[in-house]
Amino acid sequence: MKTGVPFREGLFQGSDEKGSLLGARCRQCGQIIFPRREACLNCLGNDLELIQLSRKGKLYSYTIVHMPSEHFEPPYAVGWIELPEGVKIFSQIRGWQERPLETGMDMALHFEKLWDEEEKEVVGYVFRPSTNGGA
Amino acid sequence: MRDVAIIGVGSTVMGKFPESLPYELGAEAARAAIQDAGISPGDLQFAYCANLYGGMVIGQAVMGEIGITDIELTNIENACTGGATAVRKAWWDIASGLYDIGIAVGVESITTSPMAGKLITPAKGDITGELGMNMVARFALSQRRYMDMFNISLEQIAQVSVKNHRNGCMNPYSQYRKELTIEEIVNSRPICEPITLLQCCPSTDGAAAAILVPLDLAGKYTSQPVTIAASVLKSGDYAFRWEDMTFSDMTSKCANSAYEMAGLGPEDVDVCELHDAFAMNELQHYVELGFCKRGEEVRLLEEGVTDLGGKIPVNTSGGLLSKGHPVSASGVAQIAELVWQLRGQAGERQVAGAKVALAHVIGGEVTGLESGAVAVHILKR
Ligand SMILES: [Zn+2]
Repeated sequence: MKTGVPFREGLFQGSDEKGSLLGARCRQCGQIIFPRREACLNCLGNDLELIQLSRKGKLYSYTIVHMPSEHFEPPYAVGWIELPEGVKIFSQIRGWQERPLETGMDMALHFEKLWDEEEKEVVGYVFRPSTNGGA
Repeated sequence: MRDVAIIGVGSTVMGKFPESLPYELGAEAARAAIQDAGISPGDLQFAYCANLYGGMVIGQAVMGEIGITDIELTNIENACTGGATAVRKAWWDIASGLYDIGIAVGVESITTSPMAGKLITPAKGDITGELGMNMVARFALSQRRYMDMFNISLEQIAQVSVKNHRNGCMNPYSQYRKELTIEEIVNSRPICEPITLLQCCPSTDGAAAAILVPLDLAGKYTSQPVTIAASVLKSGDYAFRWEDMTFSDMTSKCANSAYEMAGLGPEDVDVCELHDAFAMNELQHYVELGFCKRGEEVRLLEEGVTDLGGKIPVNTSGGLLSKGHPVSASGVAQIAELVWQLRGQAGERQVAGAKVALAHVIGGEVTGLESGAVAVHILKR
């Protein structure tokens, strides 16, 4: 079996049922940002706390892409998922062949293989239509 | 600060030119602008050259081709806004009193670049780019939500492409010179749903140029100077401050600043070239540029208000959809079209009595921002 490596360090922790996306909340202005930065991009304050973002959200918009990208063969789906915190996450969307996508539908976070890189399996976050209720 | 006028513009025909090197296209446009202005190349005191994919110091290659060396020459990259950025910088160099005559050139040759046949994507290593984002997907995501939230049909969006391709048939510089039907557009190959091929601007090679002088010296060169009433360029804001992806805050803010600078309003605009990289962009930009209120944009199009003969014809050149989108040249090519309109030289596509014109470009994709850069110019005669 190939070893899994995160596609980017610091964006998420854990996997499967327990993992989450890692954001930051500014203690000064309340802004939530993803990915994390050293300083708050809204007020430039430095007092940030690490937070785990919600695992569920609503599909803000989506598209089925019919052209190849660096890592994905067409057709593949991507979209913006709006989390209850008000943050929008750009992500691969899986499971769209089984369940037609609709703007506003409930989505759930999963961690899956994104692509293969030689002996490694590059792992990251994806969203799938939620099977058991919304955010 | 001095008022600035455009005394000469030039353009190549837009299209796919695998035999033409980027600097040859740039030189052709620069030569045309120099001839239009009735000056000698040696009169130019400075130059800006916008380009994305042509490589190192392309402006020097362009100017070297037409006998211009040993001047202040700056190369500019600002994605789709590059050409407008070159005009903006040239405007400031004249307005500030630094120089008395200069040229802004935009040039792109996609066909001869490594980008040929590929979708434009964010820079390497960009997070959304790695996750499958590209320029078409970015706007497909806006369009999907736009259609769903505002109950707009694909057929309505396709009418933008129908109009602009009809205009392109009247423009000798246009890449496409062919009318399209709603059915052809809707049924063309899907690229990023719901965007189909014929809702997209083509990949384009071409160049355009403009020559600027202080308004009080313009009479020396021409009896028809076109004044730059406003020149505004802004970088993108954070996407976390961008509430609604169907409304470009960047365009709205930039247009408001331009109207304020010109002392004019959207009701004064007689002709407009705007960034119709995808058909639906044009509808959204009507609202952001203040031509109508939200919810009225489809009516504006369907009633012919933005068609030739309407109150405010938009993209008379054919726009990016038909004339083509030579990325860094587009901003200058828009200025060329509007100068021809204001001088009454636009032939079959002339807007009768046009006095005020507006040009708008936006582009560049990077994780975390609405977009890279936006520019609005207002011209008047
Ligand atoms: Zn803050």
